[in-house]
Amino acid sequence: MNAYLLALLATLATTGRVLGLILLSVVTGWFLGYAAIKSRVFENAYIASIEVLESVPVISFFPVVLIFFINDVGGGLGVELAADFLVFTAVVWNIWVGIYQALKTIPNEMLEVTKNFEMSFLQKLRYAYIPFSVPRIAANLFPSLADGFFYITVSEVLSVGTTSYSTFGIGTVIDRFSSQGDFFMVYVSLIFIGAAVVLTVLGMREFSKYAVAKYALDTNQPIRKGRGFRISSLMSKNPFQKLSFYSLTSKARTTPRRKGFLERPEEEEKQNRLSKIVPAAVGFLLLALLIYGAVSLVIGVSPSLWSQLLSMTPYFLYSMLVDYARVGVITLVSLALAITVGYYLAVHARAEASMVPLIQSLSAFPAPTYFPVLFALTVSLVRGFLGPYTVEFYVLLVGFMSTFYYIFYSFWMGIRAMPQEYWDVMDNLNMGFFQKMRHVLLPATFPYIIAGISSTVNSAWGGLMIGEYWPDIYKGYTLTVRVGLMKLMDVYTAEGQIALVSWASLLFGIVVVVYSIFFTRKMMDLARKKYVAEEGVYAARRDRLGESLIVSRGRKPFVGEGEK
Amino acid sequence: MAYAYENGHVVFEDVSVAAREDELTAIVGPSGVGKSTLLRILGGFIRPMRGEVRLMGKRVTRPIPEIALIHQSIVTFPWLSALENVKLALKARKVSGDEADAVAKKMLSLVGLQGTENLYPKEMSGGMRQRVAIARALAAEPIVLLMDEPFSHLDEFTAEELRQDIYGMIFNSEIPLRSAILVSHNLYEVVSLADRVYVLNGYPAKVVGEIEVGLERPRDPTSAEFNDYLHKLREYLTPVKSELA
Repeated sequence: MNAYLLALLATLATTGRVLGLILLSVVTGWFLGYAAIKSRVFENAYIASIEVLESVPVISFFPVVLIFFINDVGGGLGVELAADFLVFTAVVWNIWVGIYQALKTIPNEMLEVTKNFEMSFLQKLRYAYIPFSVPRIAANLFPSLADGFFYITVSEVLSVGTTSYSTFGIGTVIDRFSSQGDFFMVYVSLIFIGAAVVLTVLGMREFSKYAVAKYALDTNQPIRKGRGFRISSLMSKNPFQKLSFYSLTSKARTTPRRKGFLERPEEEEKQNRLSKIVPAAVGFLLLALLIYGAVSLVIGVSPSLWSQLLSMTPYFLYSMLVDYARVGVITLVSLALAITVGYYLAVHARAEASMVPLIQSLSAFPAPTYFPVLFALTVSLVRGFLGPYTVEFYVLLVGFMSTFYYIFYSFWMGIRAMPQEYWDVMDNLNMGFFQKMRHVLLPATFPYIIAGISSTVNSAWGGLMIGEYWPDIYKGYTLTVRVGLMKLMDVYTAEGQIALVSWASLLFGIVVVVYSIFFTRKMMDLARKKYVAEEGVYAARRDRLGESLIVSRGRKPFVGEGEK
Repeated sequence: MAYAYENGHVVFEDVSVAAREDELTAIVGPSGVGKSTLLRILGGFIRPMRGEVRLMGKRVTRPIPEIALIHQSIVTFPWLSALENVKLALKARKVSGDEADAVAKKMLSLVGLQGTENLYPKEMSGGMRQRVAIARALAAEPIVLLMDEPFSHLDEFTAEELRQDIYGMIFNSEIPLRSAILVSHNLYEVVSLADRVYVLNGYPAKVVGEIEVGLERPRDPTSAEFNDYLHKLREYLTPVKSELA
């Protein structure tokens, strides 16, 4: 086949896979979200599962799943499903949580109308729940897209033991061109996937604008007196932040609903019972499957293997500690960059208009595809400067590229969601940059920063998984670190040592969950208690403030004499 | 001054207002005439399409501490106590340490919040929060105070209490404030507080009336003179047909 046509078809296949999986996340999110708001049991199981699964980097449980798909399903379908599964788990959580939140916060009045007209389940979804969830879905598309593209390109070519498996897509095609030494076609493929990313991002931006214009309720939603929150404050990715609001938002729904004399209580009661039993049953089934999986795993491992695993544990933990240090460096650099760039963009409307689409496109442009080229072009220069630290630099760079946008988006969204009145006060008091940062901007965006840090940390692990052991990154050179848990997992996967991978994966999962419970959640609690900017603005924001937001932050409403 | 949206819709034109020394000036008008926009132009937060704002002869082109804005939506910082909220204005003035504490306490006391220094906004009522916002604005030592419907989000009892106190708070020998401008659509409030009223009306809006309120303070809302002023304002505010219509 013509090489250009091959690259084009592969680009389309990869893009289609990402978009298809995002669509699957959305559709499943509607049904699961609906089930969650109808059944308390399912809701608890659903949200807790998402919380844990999102906290654990996809990459940590991927080797086990990969082996399952390739060994147990097998063939082309197994490889395809393995790749799809990895991408699905990368894109799905924030979309599911976003939809759940939307469904959970749908105004009572709207639900009363659907009841009034005796709408069926599908009608309710079509006329109330789905439209109401669209702006929230739009807000969650960009991180999902970036994550999806990042993982799709690495998951199209998979190795277990000595065997390499691949499914058709741009990742595979670039790999093939690269191994054939056809670097011209590698560049062409990069341009193709770059164009696809840019077009997709632009399309999604348009969709977002359309979604907000058409489906959002009054965006300057009145803040309830006392402990009330604007919906926009729930729009970030991390579930901890979002979950921290659930109890509050759900209060809004506990208003007793008056029973009309024309209601049919028996029928409704029956419907309610059914809508509670079915999701609860699904929840229990999922739980039972998880327990079964865990028990069969424990029974299936022989005592001698257990002893080997246990003896390896201290080294695994040490390697994990080293990786945590790497993640720390990546997070700090990302945070510093996000705060300075995010602030600059928030106060420079023109720069924001051009830079944000650029950052969105760059973040969605899959680093694994172009990183080898970047490596090849810069390695000798970097080695000249950094000497023995060169490998460490590149590993950290892959980690950074895989994750910086999370914290950037979070901080930028926090800045944008900050009440306009705060900008007025800062301007009015002539506050300097550091005064603004210390007293207003950092506290006001604290919940967003914590959410961003949490996502950044999770995603950095994915970057390390790729960077710490990258065989044949360029002309036979293997990028590899001396110590690192992600490297160990990579190597064990490549060697087909399933038990070691699973054990490392499990240890890692436990540490991550403990970290999230004792650190991220604590920080989110603090953020919820003390740092909710919206609570500082007691009353409703009127439409005219929306106008002034546009004006006073540099978006000029007219070209008049005053501007010349 | 004139102001228009990007789409060319002119909100108001040929509008000129003056805030005189020791006077509380009110701007009234129906919804959509651009009262709040005008206030923000006066504060340097928005640029007018035509015209300019001058403070004691100097052109105002950006927000400055000398012109302080009090928002309709009551703005406090939830992570700062009442005292720290007020001290925020002093940081910009480079006043720190004990002096800042003393000034902030004095401002809180001026607005009737002595003893609440360590409370956080969440622990305060709406009226108390608005008092904190006023204390913060006054701590910046403004020359002009701009108030954008400052009582509209308070319940009627709290609003009335604050209305009665506000004049004494802002025209006070202990602070250098020289003038205040209030935007409101509550005519009762305007006649109770203002020394001078500008009435905006029409599409695009213009100043259709300027009334000097010559009532003695404290004002008696049940008096015939008070009602005469209300009546006069209502006359100016009868609907005006759009020039486009």
